[in-house]
Amino acid sequence: MKPDLKNILNHLQSFYILSIKAPLGMFSRPFYLRETIEQMDYAGAGSFLIVILVSLFIGMALSLQTSVELAALGLKMYTGKIVGVSIIREIGPVAIALSYAGRVGSGMASELGSMVLGHQVDILRVFGVDPVKKLVTPRVLSSIIMLPALTLVGDAVSLLGGYYIAVFVSHQSGPLYWSQIKDIMDFNNIFSGLSKPFLFGYLISCISCYMGLSTTGGARGLRKATTTAVVLSTILIIITDFALTRILIFILGMKV
Amino acid sequence: MIAFQDVTISFGEKTVLRELSFQAEFHEKIAILGGSGEGKTTILKLILGLLRPDRGRIIIDNQDITTMSEAELRKIRMNFSIVFQEGALFDSLNVYENVAFCLREHTSLKENEIEQEVRRLLKRVDIEDAIYLMPEELSGGMQRRVAIARSLAACEPKMILYDEPTTGLDPLTAENICSLINELSEGSPPDRKGFIAVTHKVTDAAKVAERFLFVKDGKIEFDGNLEEMIRTDNGTLKRFINELLILGDSHV
Ligand SMILES: Nc1ncnc2c1ncn2[C@@H]1O[C@H](COP(=O)(O)OP(=O)(O)OP(=O)(O)O)[C@@H](O)[C@H]1O
Ligand SMILES: [Mg+2]
Repeated sequence: MKPDLKNILNHLQSFYILSIKAPLGMFSRPFYLRETIEQMDYAGAGSFLIVILVSLFIGMALSLQTSVELAALGLKMYTGKIVGVSIIREIGPVAIALSYAGRVGSGMASELGSMVLGHQVDILRVFGVDPVKKLVTPRVLSSIIMLPALTLVGDAVSLLGGYYIAVFVSHQSGPLYWSQIKDIMDFNNIFSGLSKPFLFGYLISCISCYMGLSTTGGARGLRKATTTAVVLSTILIIITDFALTRILIFILGMKV
Repeated sequence: MIAFQDVTISFGEKTVLRELSFQAEFHEKIAILGGSGEGKTTILKLILGLLRPDRGRIIIDNQDITTMSEAELRKIRMNFSIVFQEGALFDSLNVYENVAFCLREHTSLKENEIEQEVRRLLKRVDIEDAIYLMPEELSGGMQRRVAIARSLAACEPKMILYDEPTTGLDPLTAENICSLINELSEGSPPDRKGFIAVTHKVTDAAKVAERFLFVKDGKIEFDGNLEEMIRTDNGTLKRFINELLILGDSHV
């Protein structure tokens, strides 16, 4: 099929409907609690290790680079502050959302895609079950819970990694590092840091489920759906991150 | 009653059905024959409202389903159950949970009642032993049996739709499925459960169906019973049912 304008508009419209319907599904019967818990386990507990690894090394790398630059200026004592703000506000949410899109988003797209190809989704509809409620709502719900939770864990690990480098490699004072971190733990930073993964989780799960459910054309179609899900999620995470940063700075009344 | 009135549907550039019309009662035993890609599965999906036609009307129980919302369609779909080509079992659930699916969604039966019903259905399709296996551990024939059991749990359908019920199975298993199909549609016309079986295996179709439709180039080229089909003068259909004709001759 050619990607003509009408086609794209059709897709946008269907996506829009799905992205509204899916979260609304949380508030009406039937509640698919079992599915939601299963998804939370897959998305959250299953991503734990990768999040820890990614966060640890990002925290260490950031701390190392920052100490080097600051040392040249004689401002090494600000390492904690810069690492903390960067991790909590920007790098943590984005890096973890990207890992999540790669691991969980692609999984959602390919799972739903193969359900479509295997007529399992048709069967759901024949049995009078709404596929959006049964399949998409639990995934969206689990994502908007688990991605913020993972981000929280990831941020903590990054800060620890940063601490390790600052204290043992760059020979700074540990208590100073922590007091700087404590300084930046204000409402603004924490709110910014946690509202992002909430939105990213919603975006990733909606896009991935939508791509999965609109799979056509066998194994090639499945490949395309999965790839598109990850590519679109990645691009949207980065763009939304910028937009959100801008908006949050405005709302919270910070000076640029 | 099901009625297709000048139904046309295309995918992209390709027109699959062209002004196709036919009528059928719920108690009829129908086989829809046709080559690969002639739109047989598409017809079944249209009956269930899983696809919408580009033009034409589809009437089920005196209601036009082409303009219905998904919620209204749900009621219409209660009349039917479908067994897809590869079974379409939920591959994250085991056999028990697959068969129990509809019971859990639509009834408030207790666990022991569900178990009783599931065992009864599995017994009916003669596959009780597989109750705790996962779909990937089943052979093609077993998967289709489970799919049939699952479709029977779906609120007692008036008509069952089979998509290629015997394709890809060895002759013995195919035979087995055919007798199962016959068993499930036992009884005399107005009260029995009818079926529409879509297939390109003519000999299997002849074992189960009473009425045959032949789809070619998006139209119904033939509509009649077995005798009429054997005596057809439609060239393509003749070639299509060649196998049956040879068998028929050897019986004489
Ligand atoms: N969702 C879809 N998107 C695009 N094309 C489709 C879609 N569904 C079916 N088609 C096309 O419509 C035609 C008819 O499909 P259908 O599955 O109804 O054929 P069939 O008669 O069941 O064939 P088979 O015997 O191989 O199962 C095929 O050529 C197929 O490529
Ligand atoms: Mg088919």
